[in-house]
This record gives sequence, C-alpha cells and structure tokens, in this order.
Amino acid sequence: MITHLSMEQLVALRDGDRSEPGHAEAHRHFAGCSRCQVELDRLHQRTARLRALPTLVPAGNEFPAVRQRIAVERRQRNWRTAATVGIAAAATLVFAIIGRDIVHPTRLDAEQQLQSAMSTSQQLEHQLHAWNSDQRVVDGRTAMVVIQLENQIADLDAQLVAAATLQRTARIEHELKLWRQRVGLMNALVDVHLTNASSVGL
Amino acid sequence: MDAISLPDADAVIARARLGDPVALEALYRAYATPVYNLSRRICRTTEDAEDILQETFFEVCRSIRNYRGDGSIWGWIRSVASSKALMRLRRNKYRDTDELNDDFAPTRAATPGLRMDLESALARLSETARAVVWLHDVEGYTHEEIAGQMGKTVSFSKSQLARAHTRLRSWLGEESLA
Repeated sequence: MITHLSMEQLVALRDGDRSEPGHAEAHRHFAGCSRCQVELDRLHQRTARLRALPTLVPAGNEFPAVRQRIAVERRQRNWRTAATVGIAAAATLVFAIIGRDIVHPTRLDAEQQLQSAMSTSQQLEHQLHAWNSDQRVVDGRTAMVVIQLENQIADLDAQLVAAATLQRTARIEHELKLWRQRVGLMNALVDVHLTNASSVGL
Repeated sequence: MDAISLPDADAVIARARLGDPVALEALYRAYATPVYNLSRRICRTTEDAEDILQETFFEVCRSIRNYRGDGSIWGWIRSVASSKALMRLRRNKYRDTDELNDDFAPTRAATPGLRMDLESALARLSETARAVVWLHDVEGYTHEEIAGQMGKTVSFSKSQLARAHTRLRSWLGEESLA
C-alpha cells in the first residue's frame, strides 16, 4: 500500500524544514510520486492565492481616538506627578515642623504647639484626600499597614474626644501629646501611600 | 507586505520618538492599512480589527521611544499588532467553528458550483488556525515566532498550519481533483 505524504510533510517540504522526522524518506517518496508533486504544487498555489487576497482597508480614521487616549493618559500622568510632589512637599513641611519642635521645644507655648500640630494634621489629611487614597489600588501588605495606621488614628481620635473633659492645663498638655502622635501617624500614612505610588511607577 | 514605504522614515521616526503628534500621525497613515488587514485577517469582526488598530497605534505612540531601529519600523509595528490580535483572540475565546462545520463542509465542497472561495474558506477556519496560516504563510513569521507569541509549542504551530491546509484543500474542492 502506497502511503503518500501528509500535509505536515508537504508543508515541511515547501518550507525547506529539515527538522521533521523522516525528512529524507519523504524526499525520496516525493521524487517518485506524481500525486504528491501535484499536492505540493497545489499547496504552493494556495499559498500564493492567500498572499494575493485583497488588502482590507479600515473604514474610518482611528487616529483621533488614539490621540485622545494619549492626551487623557498624559493628563493623568501629570496629575499624578503633581499629587506626588504635593504630598512630598507636605511631608517635608511636617518633618520641618516636627523637627523644629524637637530642636526648639520652648519656642512656642503649649497652646500654639497644639494649634500647629492640629493644623499640620489637617494639612496632611487634606493631601491624602486630594490624593484620593481610598480609590487607589494597593498591594495586600501595604493595605494591612494602611489599616493598622488608620486604626491607631481612630484610637487617638477617641482619646481626643475623651480628653475634652479634662481640666484646661492638663487637657492642653494631653491633647498636644495626642495631636503630635496623630501627626506622626498621618505622616507615616502619607509615606506609605507615597512609597506605594513610587513602587508602581506613578 | 514587507516593504512599506514611509517617505523620510528616519526623520519621521526620530520626531515620533520625541512625541511629535504630526510624526505619530504620519506613522499611522503609513501603516494603518497593513495593521488593519493583519488584524482583520486574524480576527472575526471589523469591530475587533478596528479595536486592534487603535490599540496598536496607542501602544506604538507610547512605546516608540523603545524602538531601537534594530529591524524595520514595519516589523516592529507588525509585532505589536500581531501580539494585540492574538491577545484579542485569547480574550474573546472564540469557538473553533471549523470543528463545528467539518461534517458538512466536504459535502458542500465536493458539489460543483458550491465550492467555497478562498475568502470564505479562510473565514471558516478556527481563529487559531487562521492566525497561524496568516502569520506563517502571508506575513512570513516562523513557527518559533508564532509559538512564542501564542504561548504554545512549535509543534502546535506546525500542526495547526497543516490542519488548516488540509481543511482549505477540502473546502476549496481541491481534493476531488487529486
């Protein structure tokens, strides 16, 4: 019984692919088999017809849509850069204020220091809000750190509410301590978001 | 489709790399048709092909800075387009329609006057088989390149090509001539 070449062998012959097993045997068969020669010829013709199929042309111009997508992406990138710079500036400001308080603790009286800490905490909170941190995708580990920090901030907020019942002098000292802790935690929260943004290349 | 002329190509590419919108549009105008043709031959619908055209040039505009000029600009754009088209196939998870139509296709092909033309036969192949036929036989990709882009083996690409030709031969009524 004559076994003619399979399509895989014919394609290998057409492409000059010598890696196929039984390549030499296929060549020998092909040299003496008119039917396989016709098949190969048809394969060549079919390939030529495929290449000669008419070129399909797009109905419309897609470039305006491409340009619009590029513009949107560029705006988002610029916004992210601005937000990153803003957060970095706020973090620097906090560091400067806290650092100044550490170096010159007697420069401001307790009440002024309290106002300063409250204001700084609000600025950081504003920056985080502008950064829209709740809507951003973070990895699991970062999310855990964020949750821990937010829980600690919530605890401090509860202590601040409780501190309102204390006598004025004791209250201010206690509140100053709590607000400084809060600024530290907020600062850490900003750092976590900033680090995450850097790590994903924003 | 190997030699697509882009007048003053080096200057256009250099400007495109700097983000010049006029140069980027010149690239689009030069290569939109071959990219669309490639996409349309691989994918089933014009909508998919238009999406791939847009995706491809969005990627080209974003990544042209990474094009180092090692090969032709068309070769680079074509690799972006074929990658997008194959990604689209994977996402759409089209059915292998040639499997479904195997039963009646030979009967139809064997009847004089009902032989399919090449366009219809090509369209009837499964998405994967058609992509392999087009990329290998028309665009000139090697089986190694196709396997790499599809995330499959070289043997897979070879067998898909052979199966596709067997079906095309049958559907085009060439078997009866043997």
